[in-house]
Amino acid sequence: MIVGLTNFETHFTEVIKVSHDPELIKELEGKAKLLRKHTIEIIRYAGKGWIGGSFSEAEIFTALLFHHMRIDPKKPDWPERDRLILSKAHCCEMHYAALGEAGYFPKKYFSTYGKFGGILQAHSQRTVPGVDYSGGSLGTGLSFAVGEAIAAKLFSQKTSDGTTVPRNRVYCIIGDGECDGGQIWEAALSAGHYKLSNITTIIDRNKYQSTGAVDSIIEIEPLSEKWRSFLWNVIEVDGHDLGQILDGLEEAKKLTNKPSIIIANTVKGKGVPSFENKVHFSPLTDEMYDEAMKALT
Amino acid sequence: MLEFLRDSFSESRTMYSGHNEALVELGDENSDVLILYADFAQGQAGPYYRKKYPERIINIGIAEANLMTVAAGLAEGGKIPFTHCHSIFAIGRAYNQIRQIAFDKYNVNIILCNTGMFWDFMGASHQVIEEIAALRALPNLVLLSPSDAVEAKKASKAAAYFDGPVAIRLAEPETPIIYNDDYPFEIGKATLLKEGKDVTIAVTGILMSKVLQAAKILEREKIDVQVLNFHTIKPLDTETIKNSARETGAIVTVEDSSVIGGLGGSITEILSENYPIPIHRIGVRDVFGQTGNMEELATEYNMNITDIIKAAKKVIKKKRK
Repeated sequence: MIVGLTNFETHFTEVIKVSHDPELIKELEGKAKLLRKHTIEIIRYAGKGWIGGSFSEAEIFTALLFHHMRIDPKKPDWPERDRLILSKAHCCEMHYAALGEAGYFPKKYFSTYGKFGGILQAHSQRTVPGVDYSGGSLGTGLSFAVGEAIAAKLFSQKTSDGTTVPRNRVYCIIGDGECDGGQIWEAALSAGHYKLSNITTIIDRNKYQSTGAVDSIIEIEPLSEKWRSFLWNVIEVDGHDLGQILDGLEEAKKLTNKPSIIIANTVKGKGVPSFENKVHFSPLTDEMYDEAMKALT
Repeated sequence: MLEFLRDSFSESRTMYSGHNEALVELGDENSDVLILYADFAQGQAGPYYRKKYPERIINIGIAEANLMTVAAGLAEGGKIPFTHCHSIFAIGRAYNQIRQIAFDKYNVNIILCNTGMFWDFMGASHQVIEEIAALRALPNLVLLSPSDAVEAKKASKAAAYFDGPVAIRLAEPETPIIYNDDYPFEIGKATLLKEGKDVTIAVTGILMSKVLQAAKILEREKIDVQVLNFHTIKPLDTETIKNSARETGAIVTVEDSSVIGGLGGSITEILSENYPIPIHRIGVRDVFGQTGNMEELATEYNMNITDIIKAAKKVIKKKRK
């Protein structure tokens, strides 16, 4: 008998559906649309960018930065803040759009993207207020999250009811193509082993990478089973349904004995029909810009 | 000989033992200090932490890339991690991760265990010759290379309180204790170990005791040798090099690593731009190693006492009259 395989189902967590205030969901949906508009403006300044992978992240960033995370945009270096690590850091345009909208820096910085001397570099970088991790080397962000999560546990704080809780939570967004790389799985093993329940990883499962469909390049399915077998709690959601994302984030936060991964099933380029499942890194033509603005208005 | 040098080299210890003494002291004096390791023997600090501070010693497994980036995350979170793995795999399997640490200037202390050519028994797959060249090309990273257990201890303690990433080379063999405990160690400042006016020998790492023995032999032949310890390879103490070059007019560099991009390469770069004089570089000359004890390897690759003496005489002969 192969020990462990039979136990997959017991690792599975049923997401308890919460009925969110429809006003909240509506507000957040409006925010996600606005972030896509900011993103296309940011990309327009550079003339090119990671349109597809940025658009698929819109609802994930919205849920995290505009509702779920404990942050203070006026204090980007606050030690007790929750951390947000964008491991797929090339899709920085949506990251910058969300941070600018959240008030970490003035939105006029958007115009520096892709420009010499610009504050907004082509991969999320710590010199930008609100960015917790300089990425660009794919597969490394989850290891950084593991280090952050251990530090937060070592700095655990006593709550009023006498229990100890980690100083902060750590959120890490990874890509599905990024799962080709070995360091993701080194990090996954160590997070499972050390029961880092203060990590929530969100995988932007948009199904495309640089040269084609993820599963035609290197098959990564069955993804849920892989993560479960690495001792993670796995939650699957529609990555463009804000209610489902919020449910998943809340569910993950409740666990105390294992890290969680939310498999967010997304559509690359989501929000502009002509971009969907087509655009990865691309120049932004005037025609594309007009189409995007039309679709997002 | 200066007063902080021991009279005889009768006691031998590993650099790792000095580093471990530092970890034990740091453990008690700073609750943020952590030991991280890639399934690697930890020395006496291991049991000490496991008993007293079990949550502050973390085994990452045989996964050097994860080791380095986890350390970066811990440093961002406010901790002071010391990573431990074989140098060959730190450089070979986690160079990109070390580069990320350097880029964001995280307070990570990277212990490069079993550095250099002299790893008794393990052979070419484990002897690292390229590490100095690789690491000194990274901005922001401080690279230290002590020459005995006393200096290794001082280097590790200095690294813990240095704000930014520091890598420390620790060779595997037991090596004579050179320094007394009052030996002054300052990151970035080369140490004068012997005054002299005929030739400078600039040294880093485990070959130091051989150099001091060579200097004694040359002294008997009325050759006045200046010995400088470049325990900090980066940032290099360029003022001391230039001044020494002006004083003696000839330099031999000595290291347990490749001369390509190593200490020899660094000093040659500085002097060829500022004050060109005859130089001979002792170190690994563009070859991979093999199994053998330190004596056998030092002799095979022309890094032993007789080679140092020969090199000193050669550069003196080439001096401008």
